[in-house]
Amino acid sequence: MIKTALTELIPIEYPIFQGGMAWIADGKLAAAVSNGGGLGIIAAMNADADYLRQQIAVARSLTDKPFGVNIMLMSPNADAVAQVVADEKVAVITTGAGNPAKYMDLWQQAGACVIPVVASVAMAKMLGRSGAAALIAEGGESGGHVGDTTTMALVPQVCDATTLPVIAAGGIADGRGVAAALMLGACGVQLGTRFLLAEECSIHTNYKEKVLKATDISTIITGKRLGHPVRSLKSPFSNAVFKLEYSQISDAELEEMARDTLRLAAVEGDMQKGCFLAGQVAGMVKKSQPARQIIQEIFDEAELILKGVNRWIK
Amino acid sequence: MVFEKIAALIADHVGCDIADIKAESTFEALGIDSLDTAEMVIELEEELGIEIQLKEKMETVGQLAKYIESQKG
Ligand SMILES: Cc1cc2nc3c(=O)[nH]c(=O)nc-3n(C[C@H](O)[C@H](O)[C@H](O)COP(=O)(O)O)c2cc1C
Repeated sequence: MIKTALTELIPIEYPIFQGGMAWIADGKLAAAVSNGGGLGIIAAMNADADYLRQQIAVARSLTDKPFGVNIMLMSPNADAVAQVVADEKVAVITTGAGNPAKYMDLWQQAGACVIPVVASVAMAKMLGRSGAAALIAEGGESGGHVGDTTTMALVPQVCDATTLPVIAAGGIADGRGVAAALMLGACGVQLGTRFLLAEECSIHTNYKEKVLKATDISTIITGKRLGHPVRSLKSPFSNAVFKLEYSQISDAELEEMARDTLRLAAVEGDMQKGCFLAGQVAGMVKKSQPARQIIQEIFDEAELILKGVNRWIK
Repeated sequence: MVFEKIAALIADHVGCDIADIKAESTFEALGIDSLDTAEMVIELEEELGIEIQLKEKMETVGQLAKYIESQKG
């Protein structure tokens, strides 16, 4: 058993989160991960309050374990969904794309554990003191919206900058990654890409097949010019954006190109127009498995590695 | 005073001429993203000896300066 500050903070068996994933991480996936001993997280993305309430109800119908909701602070519905997670007394709230300070009182009164995602030391310092229970340090290897600094470089620097428990995210897909994250000072991990192949993940089979076919160099970052870079699997869509990004095309046209592309990938499996978010570890994801089995396998391996570390000390 | 300090920090960060930084300059136009802003705010805190709690997104240098002035009390 691997027990850390994270399993003390939140009543979960294994110190692992399934990260919020727009159009992907719904109540069903979150419940499966929570039933498997980790913390499942529903992505509120840009959706409205009704969608989130529905997904919370789905999760509650499938599990009595704690789960979380990921709030995208840039969402036009941020105020509304922030109220929903408070009303519904969701156990854990993770936040992305900004500073959750303005919701902190509301959420703390509701008894939630608030865990912001940070991509730099300064963000860790700023968000860490506003009442956060822990921080997720997310490196640029991740799928989805990314910063530049890699997990390897970011995690120890964030650990040095805060006294809060730190959860490492980005580039972790197996027990080796978990063991390494603990060595870097983290007390838990958040995975996204590997859970794309959880049996309980409802994305289109084209998406799953694209991840299964991916190698170590299959991802690309686009969207830097607009100030929100995202990592996705190379595809006709991402290649086109990558080429056009540094052409004369206007920002508005670029924004328009990206509209609806996450849904097209996850729901429609549109291989031409979809944006298939995934991290650099996509090449390590080799099979579809139940969420419980993914978690079990990862922690069996991590435990074996950590038990053996003495062999390097002579 | 706060404005000059921010301008100096920005000039230092992006390597531009401090004279080019106006109150109405947007962070976006200066090539400063949200991570850079967070870093500068932390640096400013250390310099000014105050805690700056950013609750709104700041678009321009002038906005940030004004906000920090108000937090200084
Ligand atoms: C398909 C996909 C969608 C994602 N969407 C979101 C999101 O809506 N909000 C968020 O905070 N993070 C999002 N992420 C990031 C994950 O929550 C997680 O931090 C990341 O996937 C960890 O890195 P990994 O992909 O290397 O496992 C997304 C990641 C992926 C792969």
